[in-house]
Amino acid sequence: MRGASNILTPAFRHDLVAGGAAGLIGGLVFWWALAAQGMAPAVPGLLGLHLLGTGVILHLLSSVLVGASFGAVLRYQPSGYAGTTSSGLLLGLLWWVAGPMSLGPLLDGAGPTWSIVEAQKVFPSLIGHLLYGGGTGLCFYIFVASYLYFRPRSEDLAPLPEVPKTRVLILGGGFGGIGTAQRLEQLYSHIPGLELTLVSQSNYLLYTPMLAEVASSALEPQHISAPVRATCPHTLFHRGEVVDINTKDQVVRVRSGGSVPYEDLTYDRLVLALGSVANYFDLPGMAENSFKLKTLEDATRLRNHIIGLLEDVDVEPFDEERVSRLTFAVAGGGFAGIEAIAELFDMVHGVLHFYPTIQPPQLRFVLIHSRDRILPELGAQLGEYALRKLQARGIEFMLENRVTGAVPGAVLLGNGEALSTHTLVWTAGNQPNPLLKTLPCEKNRAGAVVVDGTLLVDGLTNVWAVGDCAQIPDPYNDGQPYPPTAQHALREGKVAAENIAAVIQGKPVKKFRFRAIGILVGLGHRTAAAEIRGWRFSGLLAWLMWRTIYLSKLPGAEKKVRVALDWTIDLFFPRDIVVTSSLERHPNLDSNPMPPATQEQPPDNGNDRTNAGDGTAGDGSR
Amino acid sequence: MKVSQVLKNGVLPGGLAGLAGGLVLAAAMYELGRLDIFGQMAGVISQLAGLVLVLAVSALLGAGFGVLVWYQRPNAGETLVWGLVYGVFWWYLGRLTILPLFQGKGLTWDVDSARAAFPDLLGLILLGGIIGLVHVFLRRMLQVQAEDQQAGRASLFQGALAGLLSAYLLGVAADGQDQLFAFAGMAAGGSALAAWPVILLIGLLAGVGFAWLFTDSTGGAGVGLIRGIAYGFFWWVAGGLTLVPLITGSGLVWTATEVQIIFPTLPGYLLFGAAVALLYQWLGALIRLLFSEFLPGSSEEGLGTQGLRIVGRSGLAALVGGSLFSLVMWQTGFLPRVADLIGSSSPVAGFIVHLAIAGLIGLSYGILFRRQSYDVGSALGWGVSYGFFWAMLGPLTLMPVLLGGTPQWTADAAASVFPNLIGHLGYGAGLGITFYLLEARYSPWWIPRTEVQAARLERRKEQVQTSGPALWTLLILLGLTLPVLLAKGQGLTPVY
Repeated sequence: MRGASNILTPAFRHDLVAGGAAGLIGGLVFWWALAAQGMAPAVPGLLGLHLLGTGVILHLLSSVLVGASFGAVLRYQPSGYAGTTSSGLLLGLLWWVAGPMSLGPLLDGAGPTWSIVEAQKVFPSLIGHLLYGGGTGLCFYIFVASYLYFRPRSEDLAPLPEVPKTRVLILGGGFGGIGTAQRLEQLYSHIPGLELTLVSQSNYLLYTPMLAEVASSALEPQHISAPVRATCPHTLFHRGEVVDINTKDQVVRVRSGGSVPYEDLTYDRLVLALGSVANYFDLPGMAENSFKLKTLEDATRLRNHIIGLLEDVDVEPFDEERVSRLTFAVAGGGFAGIEAIAELFDMVHGVLHFYPTIQPPQLRFVLIHSRDRILPELGAQLGEYALRKLQARGIEFMLENRVTGAVPGAVLLGNGEALSTHTLVWTAGNQPNPLLKTLPCEKNRAGAVVVDGTLLVDGLTNVWAVGDCAQIPDPYNDGQPYPPTAQHALREGKVAAENIAAVIQGKPVKKFRFRAIGILVGLGHRTAAAEIRGWRFSGLLAWLMWRTIYLSKLPGAEKKVRVALDWTIDLFFPRDIVVTSSLERHPNLDSNPMPPATQEQPPDNGNDRTNAGDGTAGDGSR
Repeated sequence: MKVSQVLKNGVLPGGLAGLAGGLVLAAAMYELGRLDIFGQMAGVISQLAGLVLVLAVSALLGAGFGVLVWYQRPNAGETLVWGLVYGVFWWYLGRLTILPLFQGKGLTWDVDSARAAFPDLLGLILLGGIIGLVHVFLRRMLQVQAEDQQAGRASLFQGALAGLLSAYLLGVAADGQDQLFAFAGMAAGGSALAAWPVILLIGLLAGVGFAWLFTDSTGGAGVGLIRGIAYGFFWWVAGGLTLVPLITGSGLVWTATEVQIIFPTLPGYLLFGAAVALLYQWLGALIRLLFSEFLPGSSEEGLGTQGLRIVGRSGLAALVGGSLFSLVMWQTGFLPRVADLIGSSSPVAGFIVHLAIAGLIGLSYGILFRRQSYDVGSALGWGVSYGFFWAMLGPLTLMPVLLGGTPQWTADAAASVFPNLIGHLGYGAGLGITFYLLEARYSPWWIPRTEVQAARLERRKEQVQTSGPALWTLLILLGLTLPVLLAKGQGLTPVY
């Protein structure tokens, strides 16, 4: 195995020495040949040294050095003497170009012109270099072959020992896990016997920054996700749920959903990249009555639900629940919440022309945030800007207001009021994966495992952690933990991989250091806000930056092309209102669930709208 | 490496092949009226002595060739290239070095003596080529090597099509320079109606021959391209300088002055060979894409998956190579001429245009030569070969055309852009090595991950090791020496 690092192996040293020796012989022959024609050899001639003493030594020295370089480049291959000689000829020619044709005129003071006249002047040197090269190549081969014949190298004699396997197991298929796997794949030549396995519940890497656009029907779900098997082609992939992590015996139990109930995977090195899940803070009714926005299913379900609501409302204009159905609430004023509400606002208003009975004033978009300023990570100025922009569109903000619970059809607020709505999107809390609670190591208040600067988990051996599930100290920020973002997770994964390789090879590990380049948030309708290394941007420019930067970071060339095409098509055509699955609508929030298509419809009395005017729904159910 | 094995597999077929080649060489020498000169070397001025000498030397050279290649498993085409390089090498070592020493004249390494010995160069090239081809067939007959894949009808058809297309392109380019007749081996004044069929026929034969010779070869499009150039060179010597003039009655065109006149055909044949190889490869891929049956388990990655990585690596590699090249161009004052392409004349504009072109060519290198180099030597070899290809295609062909003229393929034009050739070689070296280093850091293809992969990679590596060095050396050797020997400049007193 020859990697860039295994340079000074015995084989290489032999090649160098043999090359140098061959170069010496070649140099002697070269000298004699030119002297026989009454010319001084190249190198001494370059410096104007025609004297025998220093000239000879200089010439022979350069021959030896050039010969050694031949050995380094050509390398000995068994039975490869034809190739070595032939390549030697080539190298000799290239040295002629570099030496008499280039360096010569340079040292003469005239500067190289590489003209044909110049070449004709030094043509004899060309032949000399050519024969030197071929001779050196052949001698080099003979020397090494003879040496090996009499003293075979131990590595050629003894059978290669069984290479022990190193099993690296990565739990989690997000940015942290994929970043680790990709870098380890590149480092496989440094880790003998590497066996890389990744376990994840979904078989794709989700590009979370664009999830809100999937919910708003601006992008296709598959286009923002890259299959793990495509991004990491040399990793063994297990689609399954991690059930138990036993760090003492170094075994992880996985439930795959196949015919075998559980599978136990042993590991030599473990990487925890389990990410975070929604945190409802034990608020009553929240988990059952809200939508979260963490996976593709969530986004698709939200989208289908909202369009389904529009469909229902359009055919029942005087329903009592109409106001409630056309109210959309988002809890949480961070990045996810702001982008979600902005995108949903754009979607609903963008497709309103399909639903003639729904007028814009009848729609209500509300964002509920517990503090007085939205987008706290972004700074006061840009936060104010975002607030003003969204308010100007008509989005309501309930600031310094908490959500205390949810019931079917309403959200309960901290000030005692209840907001009646059929759509509540919960983005106000994340917590590290609850599975981490079972690990016998130190965890912070939120539940993330504490790691040191090299991403090694405190208190456990052979376990590293990256991403949202880890608390990593930031040396640029007095040891405060790094924020849980995708750009951090990706880089943490790379460093974890390099540290694992370093530990296996016995080399020093390095600490994780990263200064975030910037933060961008999309505000819908061709506006955004961005802060990049202290520079603030807003409006259309920020929106273009948002699109460009996030497109460039999308994993995989294919998906970049698809997303770019999606965006281009969006310029010319309205958003898609196809409901891909009506069964996915939230059962509790909707008191009138759509009957499945296979059931028989009750007899049609003509105009449904007239019937609805009676207060009964057209389908007879209530 | 048992001696008996070497004798049986190498020396015997090689010696016989040498005899066969020697007959052809002797016939050529006779036609040139030089056969008695050979006899002179043996001390006897007679044609018969010359014939015997030529045969003896050829048999020896053939035996030596056999020793050189006996262990390889090359197919006919690769052995041909080895033969060509072998012939050129022996002209330098034998004709220009050993022979004068033997005759007591001392070494004759100056340009004038080399020019006088030019017919022997062509003779040795032809000899080498014939030795290579006959050697392979003898080995097949003596059944000392496994049967390689024989060319099927489909691949011969592919070759024919590729050859015809390339010949058409060649004819168009030649016509633009009023060289059509030179290619058809006719005196000026013949009708174009007769020249075109000749060229198309040459193309057809060459295409079929390429398919037949290189049917077993692996390697990407880039390797095929370089093979094609070597093949085109063989066609120039065997066809354009030998067979075609013989058939049309003008006699062998082997002296330096004659070759000088017919020099424009050389870039034509080389580019023709490259076109045949590329078209052969691409037609094959197209036919497989459109017409082949679905084979389970034959799924491919798709060109797009590695696309961005290739772009990135090529860009970086091209920057390195382009900087080297720019040094040469700046030093020789060539940059304003490049700026002409966009209508400016400032060196800075020329530098920018030059870097842009270097980037595009670097990108093509990445696409054509990805996963072909496994160490610095092979990276250097492919790189400079590709640089040489672009030295022909660029300054001599495309640049004049883009500036509103026709391709300039004369010996004088080649001599005047000699610095450009050196620059291209530097570019190719930087490009190849940098690209290899990037591949080594991020995706070293020569280190297998599974056993199945290991077997496949072994074969590819072996092929690179056996056929690569011959190709690289042949191209660079010819690229450097032919312009020097054939330029009309005077042979100056050598300095060193």
